[in-house]
Amino acid sequence: MFNEYLLSFILILISLYGLCTSKNIIKSIVCLNILEISIILFFLRIFDVSGGSAPILPNELSSMVDPLPQALVITAIVIGASVTALALMLSIKVFHHYGTLDWKELLEREG
Amino acid sequence: MDYIPIILIFLPLLTSIIIYIADDKRANALAFVTQIALIFATLQYYFSFRNIGVHKLTLGGWDQFIGITLRNDYISVSFILTSVFIWSIVLIYGWPKHRKDTKYHFFLLMQQGCFLGLVQTNDLFNFFLFIELTTMISTILILYKNDGYSIRAGLFYLLFNSIGMLFFLIGIIMVYMISGTLNMEVTSYKLMVIRDLGLVKLSFIFMIAAVGVKSAFFPVYNWLPKAHGAAPASISALLSGLLVKSGLYGFIRLNQMFGLEGFKSFFIAVGFITAVSGVVFALCQKDIKQILAFHTISQVGLILIGLSTMEGMQYYGGLLHIFNHAIFKTLLFLCVGNIITVYDSRRITEIRGVFRTMPFLSVFMIIGMLSITGSPLFNGFVSKSIIKYSFSDFPVLDTMINIINIGTAASFIKFSQVFFGKSETLMGESKTDNLSLFLLSIACLVMGLFHVPITRELWGVELHHINLLSLEKWFIYFLTLFIGFFIYKLLIEKDYKLVKSIRHSSISFEASNILLVLFVSLMILWSRVMV
Repeated sequence: MFNEYLLSFILILISLYGLCTSKNIIKSIVCLNILEISIILFFLRIFDVSGGSAPILPNELSSMVDPLPQALVITAIVIGASVTALALMLSIKVFHHYGTLDWKELLEREG
Repeated sequence: MDYIPIILIFLPLLTSIIIYIADDKRANALAFVTQIALIFATLQYYFSFRNIGVHKLTLGGWDQFIGITLRNDYISVSFILTSVFIWSIVLIYGWPKHRKDTKYHFFLLMQQGCFLGLVQTNDLFNFFLFIELTTMISTILILYKNDGYSIRAGLFYLLFNSIGMLFFLIGIIMVYMISGTLNMEVTSYKLMVIRDLGLVKLSFIFMIAAVGVKSAFFPVYNWLPKAHGAAPASISALLSGLLVKSGLYGFIRLNQMFGLEGFKSFFIAVGFITAVSGVVFALCQKDIKQILAFHTISQVGLILIGLSTMEGMQYYGGLLHIFNHAIFKTLLFLCVGNIITVYDSRRITEIRGVFRTMPFLSVFMIIGMLSITGSPLFNGFVSKSIIKYSFSDFPVLDTMINIINIGTAASFIKFSQVFFGKSETLMGESKTDNLSLFLLSIACLVMGLFHVPITRELWGVELHHINLLSLEKWFIYFLTLFIGFFIYKLLIEKDYKLVKSIRHSSISFEASNILLVLFVSLMILWSRVMV
């Protein structure tokens, strides 16, 4: 059985594996994004009502999708985007200073 | 009075935006105007708050199940008072150096607004939002010097804390799945009956892992010494004094929400290991800022030991230590910042004769050191003895805290070597701002001497039955100093190979992620086996 729960779970595991093994800064940032996207997928899937309508008041209450998770997800996406932007900016600066994007080499450098 | 919590959040934010738009060095003085306004607002709020005890504010006229709510109880109010005090001090301290710097004041005030929101919110998602905001702004503030070292530390800090906070997001989703609301107070009622459900425990574990990263618990504290070492002095003081405490604030709130009993001994163990490892690393360092950074870790461990039970004297000891630590660690970091500017060096072996060159600063610094080592009459002593007092029936735990105290004493005896001797490098006279240091030292003494009325007034706790000034305490303190001195002379000063290898050990990014995953798995294992 293949569904979205399984997909998001596999994506979480992949991203954790990537975070624990990748030695490159860019790869770490990519893994961070995958982790976030898989959490958001999980979030949206749980509160999805199949055949549900948009949460606007005149509709029937029973078939309405819960609007709160969607509001939260939008905020979470915005936070994720800004963290990614900041991290990418910093990795460019790191590359200019040290000439490498490898975590291990980076932490061994003096100064 | 009703809307003062909103003013506390938005006044610093609005002023920061005005400062940024005006982009004029004269506009920077607005920061002080804001601080004065905040002090008045906080005091007025406090005097009306003490009649109610708990103040709730629902925004936008919604029902509290779905709307955003602010809720202040005695913990929040103590955090607000401390943060307004510390921010004013940091702004005064940084004024001669950063007078013309618009961006510094912009980010500092924005940080204050976010922090004041963080300690007042009653909504889990807003808590997540504010923590992420403070993380991002602190990253930018860590980068202030814009050299290679600080960029590296800032990147590490940003990525590692973001990963931690994503675990918090998973926890939030699970809580929302179970309880259908994100309001902390309502959630705590709803979880009361289904506490033992596996999903509840799992969400608790994920959230604790996240606040553990934020407040530097044992396996996940690698970001802290890097970040504290790289930031300028005023920012390190802020990071160590208050922003690390945002995680501990989250820890208190999560424990109040979930009320899981089974994790108490786990947190005591984690706190003890955190404290000891912090002390061991601090003993081996030679960079004066790194020493203070590792002491932040060890003090966080001590606070965690205190907070772990969430009730009784021990809990109040831990809570009091949060604020005492905020005061004396800010004092120490600011003093060290001045020393570094004057001597232009950070190595403890190169700095000598501070007492002769900067007598006033030395006095303030000695007050800070007496506080952190737990000397009677100073504030660190009060909270440490309250934590210890509750352990008087458990000799093992009592000994553990004594070991931590001895390590701290040894490390600060090493630190005190900077006062003596004669400096070889002649340095230019620099203007040191003693007002902020003076205020912090006074706060140290006031918290040390008048802790009984202060805690009665703020939290309604009676502490006078704990006899703090018995001869035994003085004896124990001097014995601690004595043993610490011998440890320093016999082990540390010789600089053995082991000390060197501990000093140069550093953990890479992927290893710290493995440690984070390990921390989570350990807690899951504990909840399966022990709870």
